Amino acid sequence: MSLLVVAEIQQGAIREASYELLAFAARIGGEVSSLVIGDAALASEFAKRGGGSTWSASDAALANYNVDGYAAAILAAVEASGADTVLISNTPVGWDVAPRVAAALDAGFVSDAFDVQDGRYRRRVFNGKLDAWVRSSAAKTVVSVQPGALPAIDNQNEGGGEVKELALELPKLRARFLETRESDAGGVDLSQADVIVSGGRGVGDPEKFPEVIQPLAEALGGAMGASRPVVDAGWLPHEYQVGSSGQVVTPKLYIAIGISGAIQHLVGMKGSNYIIAINKDPDAPIFEVAQLGVVGDLFEIVPALTSAVTAARG
Amino acid sequence: MKILVCLKQVPHQDARLDVNGDGTWIREEGIKFEINSYDTFALEEALRVKDAGEAEVVVASIGPERVSQALRTALGMGADRAVHLKDDALAGSDALGIAQALAAIAREEQPDLVFTGLMSDDGNASSVPPMLAHLLDMPHATAVVKTEHKDAGLRIERELEGGALELVEIDLPCLIAVQSGINQVRYASLKGIMAAKKKPIAAKTAADLGVAELVGAAAAKVAIEKIEPPPKGDRAEILEGTTDEIVAGLLGKIKELGLL
Ligand SMILES: Cc1cc2nc3c(=O)[nH]c(=O)nc-3n(C[C@@H](O)[C@H](O)[C@H](O)COP(=O)(O)OP(=O)(O)OC[C@H]3O[C@@H](n4cnc5c(N)ncnc54)[C@H](O)[C@@H]3O)c2cc1C
Ligand SMILES: Cc1cc2nc3c(=O)[nH]c(=O)nc-3n(C[C@H](O)[C@H](O)[C@H](O)COP(=O)(O)OP(=O)(O)OC[C@H]3O[C@@H](n4cnc5c(N)ncnc54)[C@H](O)[C@@H]3O)c2cc1C
Repeated sequence: MSLLVVAEIQQGAIREASYELLAFAARIGGEVSSLVIGDAALASEFAKRGGGSTWSASDAALANYNVDGYAAAILAAVEASGADTVLISNTPVGWDVAPRVAAALDAGFVSDAFDVQDGRYRRRVFNGKLDAWVRSSAAKTVVSVQPGALPAIDNQNEGGGEVKELALELPKLRARFLETRESDAGGVDLSQADVIVSGGRGVGDPEKFPEVIQPLAEALGGAMGASRPVVDAGWLPHEYQVGSSGQVVTPKLYIAIGISGAIQHLVGMKGSNYIIAINKDPDAPIFEVAQLGVVGDLFEIVPALTSAVTAARG
Repeated sequence: MKILVCLKQVPHQDARLDVNGDGTWIREEGIKFEINSYDTFALEEALRVKDAGEAEVVVASIGPERVSQALRTALGMGADRAVHLKDDALAGSDALGIAQALAAIAREEQPDLVFTGLMSDDGNASSVPPMLAHLLDMPHATAVVKTEHKDAGLRIERELEGGALELVEIDLPCLIAVQSGINQVRYASLKGIMAAKKKPIAAKTAADLGVAELVGAAAAKVAIEKIEPPPKGDRAEILEGTTDEIVAGLLGKIKELGLL
């Protein structure tokens, strides 16, 4: 097995997730080479810290992510390294470019894998409710790996592989990076709250947030949060959203109400000190990260809990 | 301008999911289906281009007979025509197989713009759109939360992590994989539903499209060997009893945490 690890640069440094790819590669087994796109100095750093023989694609046109340039660089590195398996993190860069590279290689593509055993990859399907074990039978396989799936390997003392500049002729760039910006910040900073009471799609309609979710948050002296579908539907502004594309929170207590527990929500709240989940579905994945759970109708439990909290406060 | 929207029909988000007999997918009998949530946003984005000027919106879907329901809904919302690839030969296709079949439809339609969802709510692969764009030799962008027509292309915003956004300029023709929440999706009006009854749904087979060799289990490079519930981790302690007992349990824990 010959593996190519595609590292990713974020805000001037190699991402933690790229070192996790090295752990994933170690689990698959085989010879590892790497590709660092956009910065030759960081290519040397990655080579020193476990990346092995590392290709650097440092053309100025690759300083920011663009799909045509990155796809060309990865395809050139696959060719140069002779890799049969390509690993890339399932990030906004990875999920954009990896399937395209797989199609260009006529490769098998495994999306968002978080485990591998004997050539079978494990991935979540149905928004976290089921797992699939999949196997590629193609000569080449491209795997996008879920960030956080395995602890990172950082071989500081490896001594390092050699760094080579990748010979690359860039195609016409039909999608051009202009700039990045933060989304308009709202007035809600969930990071300071001791208690966060979050409602999900299960809350059912917008009026129920001020009626059911907010009163519990207020009774506990905490803040209100939400899952993405609540924000998508316009029930609450984006500043309430918890998750990979919202805020990452670590309160003393997080209460998830009518939230199923998709991975993109979990990454935003699983670091909470204590998690309570209220959901009518006993199989909801949220119960796997919560310490305490109630299987039942939120409209019965939550108002009763709010009254009890209010009474206890006196 | 001609716009192609790729729609997938998926199990309803509240459907009960049971693993099927051979353990490779879910049991589809007796459950409700709906348009993939991301794809409703993709369709809405296309309909807004149509509302703003001249555009024909064609919806395409691959799947069994039940899929015609999803296509009717899309026509009721305002799409002009539908293409339904319905062929048992598609069973067991992997994402590349689905992309090959959609590419064949796109080659017949020659759209200026292709809209897809970012991800399906069942397979969660986020794979078909970039593959399709490659096969059509078009640039693409995923997780798009804003589109604006500008000169010979689009100016779009891609969603990154933590709410950050990336501004990109992209040439037409191109493929845009839409993130949820990009717009507020309309409902089909009664008038729209009536009008949809007269709109055409073209049924196609894999042979019609010349992709019989490229789709189905035989062509798939990735096989699902097994579907199973996720491993039970340190599962939550579940409070049982009457509502009063459950509330007492919750209250006790909140006090114990020193939060009351
Ligand atoms: C019975 C059964 C068996 C299967 N066996 C396998 C298997 O052996 N190996 C395997 O890899 N997969 C298998 N699959 C799943 C496979 O067909 C997936 O649909 C495919 O891999 C695409 O992934 P996805 O559906 O997650 O789409 P994504 O890539 O997440 O979809 C993104 C977008 O692409 C478009 N799109 C996707 N599918 C369609 C469609 N059908 N029609 C129109 N537009 C579409 C939509 O706009 C969608 O929002 C099986 C599925 C079924 C039902
Ligand atoms: C790139 C990307 C980024 C994303 N970023 C985020 C993010 O930042 N944050 C986020 O949350 N999601 C994010 N998502 C979406 C994520 O995949 C899920 O779709 C989403 O988290 C689901 O939200 P939910 O749990 O509220 O809804 P669902 O999954 O629909 O769950 C609703 C739950 O409510 C329960 N329920 C229904 N009625 C009741 C009742 N009466 N009483 C009790 N329980 C009830 C149901 O059993 C169900 O479990 C992202 C997805 C992608 C692809």
